[in-house]
Amino acid sequence: MKTLLLALAATAVAGGVALAADPWAEVPAAERPAPGAPDLSGVWAMPSPIRTLKTTDGKDPPLLPAARAEYAKRQAALKADPTSDPVSKCWMQGVPRLVYAPYPVLIAEEKDRVDLVYETNHTFRIVDLKRALPKEGPDLDPQWLGYSVGHWEGKTLVVDTVGLNDKTWLDYSGLPHGEKLKVQERYTLARPDRIDGVVTITDPDTYSRPWSTAFTLVKKPGYELKENVCVRDHRM
Amino acid sequence: MRRSFVLAAIAAGLATSVAAQELGAQNPGRPDLGAGADRQIQRRKAWEPTAPPSDPKDFTGIWEVPNPKIDLKQDDGSNPPFTPAEARSTQRMIDAEKAGAVITDASTQCFPHGVPRLTMAPYPIRFVHQPGKILMLHEVGHNVRVIYMDKTAPPKDTPMSFLGYSVGRWDGDTLVVETTHLNDQTRLDMHTSHGPRAKITERFSKQKTPQGYTDLVDVITVDDPDHFTKPFSVTRKFAFRGDLQANFWTAGLTEYSCEENNRNVPDANGVVTAK
Repeated sequence: MKTLLLALAATAVAGGVALAADPWAEVPAAERPAPGAPDLSGVWAMPSPIRTLKTTDGKDPPLLPAARAEYAKRQAALKADPTSDPVSKCWMQGVPRLVYAPYPVLIAEEKDRVDLVYETNHTFRIVDLKRALPKEGPDLDPQWLGYSVGHWEGKTLVVDTVGLNDKTWLDYSGLPHGEKLKVQERYTLARPDRIDGVVTITDPDTYSRPWSTAFTLVKKPGYELKENVCVRDHRM
Repeated sequence: MRRSFVLAAIAAGLATSVAAQELGAQNPGRPDLGAGADRQIQRRKAWEPTAPPSDPKDFTGIWEVPNPKIDLKQDDGSNPPFTPAEARSTQRMIDAEKAGAVITDASTQCFPHGVPRLTMAPYPIRFVHQPGKILMLHEVGHNVRVIYMDKTAPPKDTPMSFLGYSVGRWDGDTLVVETTHLNDQTRLDMHTSHGPRAKITERFSKQKTPQGYTDLVDVITVDDPDHFTKPFSVTRKFAFRGDLQANFWTAGLTEYSCEENNRNVPDANGVVTAK
């Protein structure tokens, strides 16, 4: 009898806690992520910055000869003048470089979209979970952050991006890309507080084959995005 | 690329006149600004109203002020209750603009616009509901506001910033947002300044229009004893732009890269020469 009562009490407490703790309860029902979608919502950050991308097996990316020459040129320029990096102009960092910026990202999960809100110069991307990628061709006006669609594969959010302009670098070291760049980002919820990420670069004008590179994001519970502003040549 | 150039040009234009931009499509003298600008202007022409989510507390989606005015006129058309010093300061800016100077502020230099300056900007806003917070993603200058619904006050040692710290709560079906910790480097509109003690209270609610559409109405109350003799309110009405979300990429927000062509930098005297 006593055991039964205790069990009932435990159930009630567990039920009460579960209800009170459901962070989605206050989000309108029609806007909550699809049932079963892993919960990536919250603020995440890289535990250690990545400045030079390597392939998942630790090698240099497979640059084509012309791209290799451009890369060498950029590295020499960086050595002579660190402000030769396009981010020193406060331009948008592009995809995937924004992923590697040394500031947290707020992931906002919705029914039909995932918003990636970067602390870095308050830049956001909106990943459409319902659309197909736009057709390639002259109508696809290249953008700094391109056009992104996403879908769920089990515990993984898969984001495909095209339509990126060629003014951005892939990383801090100056890895180049062209406008044919396709980027796939895979965000796998390995644990509730860790995302194992993989970025795959496909750019036949720059690299001899598609290649992938890994990253990790850890959750920062309670962290609030700071106002981060990059403006060049300003005078208030 | 082309679009960003155009947007910078529009941002520069904003400094002088929002109305000019809105009327651009009807202005035969308007220079060819490219496809991006056409889209910007085109979408402000005829569009079919669509219904927002039926839940009165669900603001999800794109909202835009159809007839934007960046001013602080109260509902009865009167000016805010300026302190004498702010009245003089505001008049100085208006006179300078009349004399041909281009008025610049944080927004024209790619800084976050400030509140409520940002709320009045003639660009769409996307509301996103999340656990513990509501996001306002602004097309203009990729401004991001986070409204903290899980706080009753800003944390201790909150720094001053362009967009301040916003705490929200529901009063029935009205979202009440209080914003403080605004630095004094933004203006409330194009001409009127505020100080670090400013407190902005926004009351957002869905309201039916006489035509039966649903607007998001924002009653903005400004309380800043250093610039106004008493609190005052201005109202902005946002139309739901489900059409933008349905027909354009990035949920209907055009990429807006102010930084790419930030030409609207004032000289040492604070004067901008529009190019």
